[in-house]
Amino acid sequence: MPVNLKLQSFEPLIIAFCCNWCSYAGGDLAGTSRMTYPANVRVIRVPCSSRVSSNFILRAFQRGADGVVVAGCHPGDCHYTSGNYFARRRFLLLQRFLEFLGMEPERFQVHWISASEGNRFAAVMTETTDKIRALGPNRKLRDTR
Amino acid sequence: MKQLSEILKEVAFGSLSSGEAEMVIGWQKGPFWWQSFPAFITDPGGTGSLIWDPFSVSNLSKYLLKEVPEKKIALFLKGCDALGFNQMLRDGRVDREKVLLFGIPCDGLVDPARVEAAGLSKGLLQVKKEQEELIFYYKKGQRKAPARDFYYAKCLSCRYPNPVIYDQMLGEAVPCQPVERFADVSKLETTPLEERFSYWSRHFSRCIRCFACRNVCPACSCRECIFDLAEPRWLGKANELSETQFYHITRAYHVAGRCVDCGECARICPVGIPLAELNRKFIKDINELYGEYDAGADLDKEAPLLTFKTDDPDVSSGS
Amino acid sequence: MKKIAKEKLALLWELLAHKATLYFPLQEDGAVNFAPWKNGAQVDFGVNSIVPPKNVFFPQAETYLRFKTGAKRLQLESVEPEEKFILFGVRPCDLASFNILDKIFLEEPTDGLYAKRRRLGTLVSMGCNEPGETCFCTSFALEPAFAPGADVMVWDMGEFLLWEPRSTKGEALTAVINELLDEAAPEETAAAVRLRDTTAAGEAAAARQRGWNTEGLQEALRGKFNDELWEKLYHRCLGCGICTYLCPTCHCFDIQDFSRDLEGERFSCWDSCMFAEFTLMTSGENPRPTQKERVRQRFLHKLLYFPSKFGLYACVGCGRCVRKCPVHLDITQVIKEAGGVVSGS
Repeated sequence: MPVNLKLQSFEPLIIAFCCNWCSYAGGDLAGTSRMTYPANVRVIRVPCSSRVSSNFILRAFQRGADGVVVAGCHPGDCHYTSGNYFARRRFLLLQRFLEFLGMEPERFQVHWISASEGNRFAAVMTETTDKIRALGPNRKLRDTR
Repeated sequence: MKQLSEILKEVAFGSLSSGEAEMVIGWQKGPFWWQSFPAFITDPGGTGSLIWDPFSVSNLSKYLLKEVPEKKIALFLKGCDALGFNQMLRDGRVDREKVLLFGIPCDGLVDPARVEAAGLSKGLLQVKKEQEELIFYYKKGQRKAPARDFYYAKCLSCRYPNPVIYDQMLGEAVPCQPVERFADVSKLETTPLEERFSYWSRHFSRCIRCFACRNVCPACSCRECIFDLAEPRWLGKANELSETQFYHITRAYHVAGRCVDCGECARICPVGIPLAELNRKFIKDINELYGEYDAGADLDKEAPLLTFKTDDPDVSSGS
Repeated sequence: MKKIAKEKLALLWELLAHKATLYFPLQEDGAVNFAPWKNGAQVDFGVNSIVPPKNVFFPQAETYLRFKTGAKRLQLESVEPEEKFILFGVRPCDLASFNILDKIFLEEPTDGLYAKRRRLGTLVSMGCNEPGETCFCTSFALEPAFAPGADVMVWDMGEFLLWEPRSTKGEALTAVINELLDEAAPEETAAAVRLRDTTAAGEAAAARQRGWNTEGLQEALRGKFNDELWEKLYHRCLGCGICTYLCPTCHCFDIQDFSRDLEGERFSCWDSCMFAEFTLMTSGENPRPTQKERVRQRFLHKLLYFPSKFGLYACVGCGRCVRKCPVHLDITQVIKEAGGVVSGS
């Protein structure tokens, strides 16, 4: 769904890359527990937070995302033992780099959400959506075509 | 410096005629005072054309990726080139046994643009370096000036003027007084977000996507580069700021932790994009977050992005 | 011939900018490139631009078709340039490059977008007062201070610009700004003629001193396809696109699609014979497998194939490759190595 930038009340588009083992299951739990979180969030399931390449994140911004979230298991709980530890280093560097280029730091976030934290999943997504909504549409890495 | 240039010819001749190497990669002089370029010599008789002068800036080790790997190749490395060579070694892209390395101590090379800016280029025939001075030769007469005033920016912040890897060192080690290399990054970090964005947009808009910064980089040694792939086509070919941003973010991020800060990308950019600042942002952050690390020099340390600590700083704050 | 005082130039830009988009060599962060002028922009006629002005007629990327699916039929809409523009301050070498591009894009089948831009554009060329050290336009029978194809020719005479309309388009442009122009005195006109002569003579002398020219070059290159010359030259090539993208006569392009959801666009974009993927086929076969074949292709195209087909070399001697090739594998080296007749020296 292309977001109509002319809408008076702006609704952000948020892409959430969720690791299969923890955060995606956390999202499932939020759903089955009938917790609500904003429909602005589109979840993409990945095997591990460390599977998320910077290409995915940049492409999401290029094609209209106003915010990108990467969610994985809590450090120490990675299904593959250490994937999220590597991801933590990579994404901290990427976060700081995007900010260095002039991107608002809120637009790219990383969260650790376990399979049992349905409430946390809903809270993170709600909070993120509110933050990005307040920031307004992202134009900084967006393809203008 | 003349002396070093003679030694260089001798060792090149020696290694080819003894059969120790089948090819020597060095530098040759072009018709203009500022043209020194990579030369590939297989015949001992051709080694007389090799030179070492204040413009021998090309990093010769990158050619090891392209040249026939079965051949044993002798080449010359400056301090910065040696770091790049080490990184290629660490990335498993060169075979140490197949190369013969001659180290060259180098306290800085001359940026032709600075000679031009100083108004010294008109009618200039040759530039030589003697001690700390440059001598500019013209049809009539000559002029002298302090060499350091004409060095590339990257040379002024050089911390490894003497090669960290070599089989034979040519000449005496030189001292260095590097200027603070993160000054520009620090300055940018403190400018307001929007200003920073327009700064980079302005620079990126000039990018013509020639890929010279990638091709010259000793850390860019992938056999296949995503920027060249038609399927999947990650990088489109349109002249669109977003595509250019994608290119530059990805290039710098991909060499993070492996960039040896040789500054070649920024030097050869035809439109003057300050690419070194992108790489240095990563180096600075890595140093601050995960401990000092000098790619190409710290061979006993683990590469920062190929390892982790359980108590690394967290990333999740999002604000 | 007319003239315009330098202090009136700001007024001139203002006036012209109202008439059409005005491309100037503009300075930004120390880099000079042609771009649309706006108030406050820094016009710089001192050096030639880094990127040649070919991109005004032959943009690095240009959308020519938009498409939409979803309805019963595929909807297509073609996109065409509509804006009139003035390209101001083109050097005679770059202006001559349009001649070369015309051979490619205006011959059947004509490139409609290029043709339209050629019609929409008015070319104001500025003669060189002093050719740069890397210039060699006279080797291709061009003059540093005179461009035969210009609509208006101007010369920088210090206090003022001499202004000579040379075509109907040029006359029309002159009529618009007539209030700012004065009649040039005969001695001022004579100074322009002198400038033409001295720059051409100076440049030719410099070329002779460098010890090569293009006489007999085509003949020398014929039969050199398998020469060891290429083996000798190619090693140092980095395979970047600097020479092709900064060359005013390089014109290779690719066609690509960009799409999102149910719509998208088709665009043409610069491509470079220096890139490995330029000739890579779907099967994985690459008829130019190494940089050697690519380097050979680039130079033989400019110095042999193009002149054989169109009767002129695809080089105008602007010197950009000499200046910007990071490993100094430029066309002058090839001309010399390939045995362009050494004259004079």
